[in-house]
Amino acid sequence: MAAAGSRRAGRSATLCLARAAAAAAFLAAPWAHAQDADAMLDRAGSAARALSYTGTIVYQRGTEVETSRIVHVNDGGDELEKLVNLDGPAREVIRRNGEVRCYYPDVKLVRIEPRTFRNAFPSISPQQKSSLAKYYVARKGATGRIAGLEAQAWNFEPRDGLRYGYEFWTDPATGMLLKARTLNERGEVIEQFAFLDIALGVKLERDAAQPSWPPAPADWQVRQQKSGAAASVDTGWVVGRAPPGFVKIMEGQRGMRDQKRGVVQIVFSDGLVAVSVFIEPRGGAQRRFGRARQGGINQYSVKHDDHVITALGEVPAEAVRLMATSVTRQ
Amino acid sequence: MNEEISRLMDGELDDAAAVDRVLAGMKQDGAKATWMCYHLIGDALRGEDAGSRPLSRRIVAALAAEPTVLAPARRVERPATWAWAAAATIAAVGVVGWTAVSLTDAPESALSLAREAASMRSDTLRPQVIPADYLIAHREISPSTPIQGLGPLQRAAVFDAKAR
Repeated sequence: MAAAGSRRAGRSATLCLARAAAAAAFLAAPWAHAQDADAMLDRAGSAARALSYTGTIVYQRGTEVETSRIVHVNDGGDELEKLVNLDGPAREVIRRNGEVRCYYPDVKLVRIEPRTFRNAFPSISPQQKSSLAKYYVARKGATGRIAGLEAQAWNFEPRDGLRYGYEFWTDPATGMLLKARTLNERGEVIEQFAFLDIALGVKLERDAAQPSWPPAPADWQVRQQKSGAAASVDTGWVVGRAPPGFVKIMEGQRGMRDQKRGVVQIVFSDGLVAVSVFIEPRGGAQRRFGRARQGGINQYSVKHDDHVITALGEVPAEAVRLMATSVTRQ
Repeated sequence: MNEEISRLMDGELDDAAAVDRVLAGMKQDGAKATWMCYHLIGDALRGEDAGSRPLSRRIVAALAAEPTVLAPARRVERPATWAWAAAATIAAVGVVGWTAVSLTDAPESALSLAREAASMRSDTLRPQVIPADYLIAHREISPSTPIQGLGPLQRAAVFDAKAR
């Protein structure tokens, strides 16, 4: 009896300590948690690449819901990925070390995307990481079940109206991101994705990510997309205003849209999200200027002499407007 | 016929009767209807308002007016709303037609997609105003893409899903 009593006393003392620690952590926030939050983002990024896993993903934007099946195999550094949608016309996306093939069985078409240059670009700099803490209040949240796993929640609350809020849930064991939500200024979910089920860190053979068809089936069309690779150059265009904390992470020209000189793309990031500013000659076609929105992505287009400037990114409408309207030629 | 289509595509065919003639001709030739359809897909994917151009408006109106593709005899009085809606549908169908598809290699089954696009109703559609190529170019670089490769493609798959 006495033993039980002291155990209880011990437990409540621990509880008190835990509460005190939690209070201290809360008071110290965001700095105390910002570092954890950074580490969480890093871990989530590398887990998605380094682990082998298979699962069902649900993606929701507004009232639209899409479910897909993903198989990701890391075979000694070789990354293979197969993504198949489960509703609507069948689509299969196969990714192998950067090359992406999309299969459209109903129209017998294979589209080969150019190798993305994502890896060629430097990741977020340490300075940028520390700036994350300046523009978001990052808090470790409660734990909850996602896809059958006990997941750790993280909240990123924006400190100004020029970015959205986020909620992430990760698997504490591997760091894998299991669920992510984008919240607008009213705290409403505008976009989310989540695993419904996942087998993490499992042994998967390369065959598991094999496409259901040969690389180029005999009677199918194969469409090789032009290289969209961006050459890093000084484009002569300057984005005058960006929300605080957004720094330029890339500037270049992309071969796209049959534009001879390519379309200029300048990308800014605050470490969590990014805004791309596209600049292209107007050409003959009429375009829609002003605002557009799609889930958590806002866009703003303006005319600049004989060019069209479009800013788009995972930020509120005001942020893209601010940037698109500040572009000038050097 | 081919020359007239070519002129039509270049916007050189101003005469309404000539346009009708070409459209009527295309009723017999699915591949060409498909070709036109793909041009609209290209426009819509690039975020260009296909419905704002007189030529496209006529074609889209023709698409929208009949359950069978491109029967131009019936006139549509106010095609503007329809035009955009139909263009959006085609865009939704048309991740397939990511870049402009040439006349010669248009898949047979694209015609059925065009037919489907034509039978859609505007109230079930939502315009796709953010150009998909910009979106993909952006998502490639954005740190917010949680799983590499998934973001843009997931979105691309969403466009497809909206088509049904």
